[in-house]
Amino acid sequence: MAAETQLDPVIHAPARLRVVVTLASLPDRDNLSFTRLQELLGLTPGNLITHLRKLEDAGYVTTVKTGSGVTARTSVSLSQQGRQALENYTAVLRQLLDSASTNGSSPH
Amino acid sequence: MLEDQEMSVQEAAAVVQDARARARKELVISTPIVYAAWGLVWLLGYGGMWLSVRGQHPYSGPSGVSIAAVFVLAGIAITTVLAIASKAVAGIDGQSVRHRRVLVMTWAVGYLALLIVGPAISSSVSTRTLAFISFAGPVLLAGLVYILAAALGRYRPAFALGAWLVIIGTSCAWLAPATILATCALAGGGAFLLMAAIETGLRRHGS
Repeated sequence: MAAETQLDPVIHAPARLRVVVTLASLPDRDNLSFTRLQELLGLTPGNLITHLRKLEDAGYVTTVKTGSGVTARTSVSLSQQGRQALENYTAVLRQLLDSASTNGSSPH
Repeated sequence: MLEDQEMSVQEAAAVVQDARARARKELVISTPIVYAAWGLVWLLGYGGMWLSVRGQHPYSGPSGVSIAAVFVLAGIAITTVLAIASKAVAGIDGQSVRHRRVLVMTWAVGYLALLIVGPAISSSVSTRTLAFISFAGPVLLAGLVYILAAALGRYRPAFALGAWLVIIGTSCAWLAPATILATCALAGGGAFLLMAAIETGLRRHGS
């Protein structure tokens, strides 16, 4: 499991990786509603909240609540730190995959 | 359940690829369909008007039927584009949404102005001038809007389309009314359809 330890543990979890990659597809200074994100990822609201908290604690996403009552909206966006973290993560991932295919062995 | 299960490097790569493809499919407006819709409107709309004036001596303008067809085609295209865009941008907010609103408003206000100006000045300008304003005006406007979109950082490949439309629209100043219609149909509509093909190819290559 040595290879996986080189990857950012905050991002290196299936659901959180999907959250970060999805948010990274939005242009800078855009955000996505919690509801739409939840629909896209197929997670339960509670599950998504837990993962978002972990990403927010790491400074990778920002959540903002606006409005109240019926018009209440929670929006989620990837921070600059989050974008950089994802870039670093995918760079390391690529290196590990290249190294695995060069060595002809699985990095487990 | 936190779902922090272990994930191999290969599994992670698959998750990244899948999430990217899903986001591209769900959160990005399908530009090939948008370009194709406008391309067909221009090709069939301008083309229909050109067919109605072919052989007119003296030139008296497109038939009412061909003009009505343009509005019907435009209505269908606008409905299609709005449906596609609404689905893609649902839940998204921020700078790109504000930019898109500005572009759509610019387009709508510009076309409305052309619809008003044409009839208002029709009795005081030559047939050729009126044809230029009525037929090439929308082409010039579309070109400028696409250039603006590219400048705002949205749809960068559209700069080429915008510049081409401005060139087409400007060149119409030297053309007879019937030739303006044919030029807008083929060079304008054709450009949109070419963009649709290019964007389709780029998406396939990227996915």
